[in-house]
Amino acid sequence: MSTPAVELREITKRFPGVVANDDVDLTVERGSVHALLGENGAGKTTLMNVLYGLYDPTSGTVAVDGEERSFDSPRNAIDAGIGMIHQHFMLVDPMTVTENITLGNEPRRRSGLSRLTGLSVDRDRAREEVVELSERFGFDVDPDARIEDVSVGVQQRVEILKALYRGADVLILDEPTAVLTPQEVEDLFAVFDELTAQGKTIIFITHKLGEAMTAADEITVLRDGKNVGTVDAAGTTREELAELMVGREVLLDVERPPTDFGDEVLDVSDLVVTDDRGVRAVDDLSLSVREGEVFGVAGVDGNGQSELIEAITGLQTPDSGVITLEGTDLTDRSRRQRIEAGMSYVPEDRQDQGLVMDYDLVENGLLGSQHQAPFARRGRIDWDEARDHAESVIGEYDVRPPDADTDAESLSGGNQQKFVVGREFERDPTLLVAAHPTRGVDVGSIEFIHERLLELRAQGVSILLVSSKLEEVQALSDRLAVIYEGSFVDTVDPDAVTEEELGLLMAGERPDSADDSAGARDTAAAAAADATTDAESGGDGE
Amino acid sequence: MSVRDRARRALERLVDASAAERALISLASIVLAVAIGTVIILVSGRMTSCAEAAFVLTHPQPFGFPQLFRMGFCYDPVLVFDRLFIGALGDPLTRGWGPLSPFTGGQINPFRAGYDPLNAQMATTLKETTILVFTGLSVALAFRAGIFNIGSQGQMIVGGLATAVSVLWASSLLSGLAGTLVVIPFGLFIGALFGGLYGAVPGALKAYADANEVITTIMLNFVATGVVLYLVRDVFKDPDSFANQTVPLPEFALFPAIFFPGPSGFSIVALAVAVACVLALYYLLTRTAFGYDIRTSGIQPEAAEYGGVDAKRTIVASMSLSGALAGIGGAVYVLMVLGNYQTGVPAYGFDGITVAILAGNNPLGVTFAAFLFGVLKSGTIVVQFSTDVPPQLVGVLRGLIILFVAMPEFFRLIGRRVLPAEPDRPGGTAVATDGGREHASSSRDETATPPTESAASGGEDR
Repeated sequence: MSTPAVELREITKRFPGVVANDDVDLTVERGSVHALLGENGAGKTTLMNVLYGLYDPTSGTVAVDGEERSFDSPRNAIDAGIGMIHQHFMLVDPMTVTENITLGNEPRRRSGLSRLTGLSVDRDRAREEVVELSERFGFDVDPDARIEDVSVGVQQRVEILKALYRGADVLILDEPTAVLTPQEVEDLFAVFDELTAQGKTIIFITHKLGEAMTAADEITVLRDGKNVGTVDAAGTTREELAELMVGREVLLDVERPPTDFGDEVLDVSDLVVTDDRGVRAVDDLSLSVREGEVFGVAGVDGNGQSELIEAITGLQTPDSGVITLEGTDLTDRSRRQRIEAGMSYVPEDRQDQGLVMDYDLVENGLLGSQHQAPFARRGRIDWDEARDHAESVIGEYDVRPPDADTDAESLSGGNQQKFVVGREFERDPTLLVAAHPTRGVDVGSIEFIHERLLELRAQGVSILLVSSKLEEVQALSDRLAVIYEGSFVDTVDPDAVTEEELGLLMAGERPDSADDSAGARDTAAAAAADATTDAESGGDGE
Repeated sequence: MSVRDRARRALERLVDASAAERALISLASIVLAVAIGTVIILVSGRMTSCAEAAFVLTHPQPFGFPQLFRMGFCYDPVLVFDRLFIGALGDPLTRGWGPLSPFTGGQINPFRAGYDPLNAQMATTLKETTILVFTGLSVALAFRAGIFNIGSQGQMIVGGLATAVSVLWASSLLSGLAGTLVVIPFGLFIGALFGGLYGAVPGALKAYADANEVITTIMLNFVATGVVLYLVRDVFKDPDSFANQTVPLPEFALFPAIFFPGPSGFSIVALAVAVACVLALYYLLTRTAFGYDIRTSGIQPEAAEYGGVDAKRTIVASMSLSGALAGIGGAVYVLMVLGNYQTGVPAYGFDGITVAILAGNNPLGVTFAAFLFGVLKSGTIVVQFSTDVPPQLVGVLRGLIILFVAMPEFFRLIGRRVLPAEPDRPGGTAVATDGGREHASSSRDETATPPTESAASGGEDR
């Protein structure tokens, strides 16, 4: 066998109080796609940052093409032919594709006076080089387009081209699919094939099993900073991978027993919400959730989901529309009155909204109930009661470390989420609004949160579930609405709909024209791309 | 480790410091300030000329060892700091007493024979302390709600004048002990009411008109000073006096000077009111739902709103309460110190800001910070009486001490704002973190960009 493109040997990376990588070996063959799979916090990004020269390993060696190297900075890594595409693109929005790709390595003009100064950029040659490069790898990129005008998928390709332009042979991609629509993901994987066919090596970081199995030749699983196994993608199963990732057997399917739904509990009609930028984020939208029903909302992030749930939970004032809970008009009620009316809310943003970072878990367990019995009587807080409550949530939802006196800030993201979910689920709600309830949570806890959610459903709680994880909304919802640019494109039966149909709906394709030809599909993909661009800017605006 | 990293570490430690550690840090800061102050006193003592040296620096001369070195200074640093700290307490210590003196045949009791803690100088110290407790609490409360109330001075003088005028009116209706029991609480209430209303104005402007409270409160200080000056000069002026002051209040309407020899302008009753306010505010912040709302809005407004806190109402309420505390301070100043209202109230409101920062905005800490201020203020007078050191130099020394004590707290405040935003700070738990970044910031990234995980579903989880 030829020399491996990259070989990491016994890499250990320690941060104060934390071992991010513990004696990790990783061998990546030339011309292959290698997936680095693991939970959030398993040490995947750290390992790649070591390879890219961003971190100095505490111990261990890095070899590229069989030659031992030590990178002080990404500059050295780039010179050794390693390129990294971060989760957040490092592109200059108002500049063109060509300018971004050649940035820092612009070809200089070779003639005339400017040759003496060496300052003048040869724009024509830069453009030619970019065109030539993108043709070589079969990329469909307009060299003159501005970054801010192209979709996220194209931006990602620009990032890849930038790395290739700098002579990268090994490409590291950190969670490359996180911001893409299903169609764009397929395109990306096609790009992987093209690149490996031309001898490039790809390492990509992911925590999604399906993706690793589809796109990679080999999969290395990291757990708690350790390499727990490298498997051949073709010869493994999802169950095996999940077990490697979590360290125990995981049930991937959720049982959703059929129930009879009661009366309408939440009713939203003709809701219009304008966001900070004056855009109609929620555009004349109506929905209703019945007792014991899970109503799912799917869609590319930034299509008005946040505004919808914030208007329902009382954090944003709608421009028009009526929101009723159990027949009571809540439209003009304050957030506190809505909480007291039995509304639980797992917020999108646990760090800014769901938890007070400087508070310990006792104080955080109180958030939202600070004026309610049994925690407060006549304005006086019963801290013993609050402590008992926090401890029961910690115990039941397996929050680690199991210490109510820990500050929320020092918990890991997944444990923060578990605590917020626990607090909101245990509120004994009439209506639960859950936004991305399992975001950042490990597979084992996802299973538990899903079970608890369905238990609430069985108890007759109405649930409005918003998630960007398709499989989650699909598995848990009784009815599933797809939101696009502030209104529902369609409401479907989650058990009958296919992923492809959902993907098209999420791209704003109306159901009647969805099953057309390949041409329609391309438009849909483009629309989806636009949608993600919106999502991006929407996210930034927050 | 680079200087930057070192600075970060230090900042982190400061942010995480416990109350006891912070007290220790403050003590160390005072020692350092005294050391630097000593150098300044010596240097300026060399630069001045005087007939006889107040302090002579030389080396020990055992066994008739010849003197090689001798230098005289005009100011004696030991005496200056002795007067500044010990003098402010009315000289409690026996001269020449040291921790080892019982073993060397000296005094066992460190306290000076015949020392009376209830002396006039102590009264001056406690007088300053009492007023500063109120303004300190005022600023600290606003700080806890995330509002920078620079307007305590204005709220204090508005409360003070209102008290002076209304108590004058009320005292014409009553007299004797019954009068004292009714009039003083009434005066405090009026002070709180007017101070509170004057604090509510910038609160309402911030909540409903999005006006920056720093600017409005500063401006309202000028307005208060101007309007009060006009009122005292043209409306409520004492016709028998040339100064800008109101008619003196009758003796029974003032805080009684018990225990301490009068007329020192101090009443232990007023100090008791101050301590009661400290405890009440501490209780309010830590034990009540309203206090929880205030604290939550102060450190994380978004989370407060999520938790059902009405942001606008909380802003107005905490500013009113903050103004009320400053107003009580003004009332106490009138009813305990002045006996009427006189223009030109010292900058207690601004000192209150430093007191609050020094106390880490903890009501209990305000008591100690205010006492330190009281000692320094009263000690300054003693230094001026008993040494030749010019008052400006004493002012410098005082400033140094405050600066050094306030610095760590100030850095702490900044650190709290700066640190969470910075990467490369792993959390305390022994879990491997993604990229070794702090949990908070790494997952914050994750939520900032909406990940379309639907993408993952290409055949997954079925």
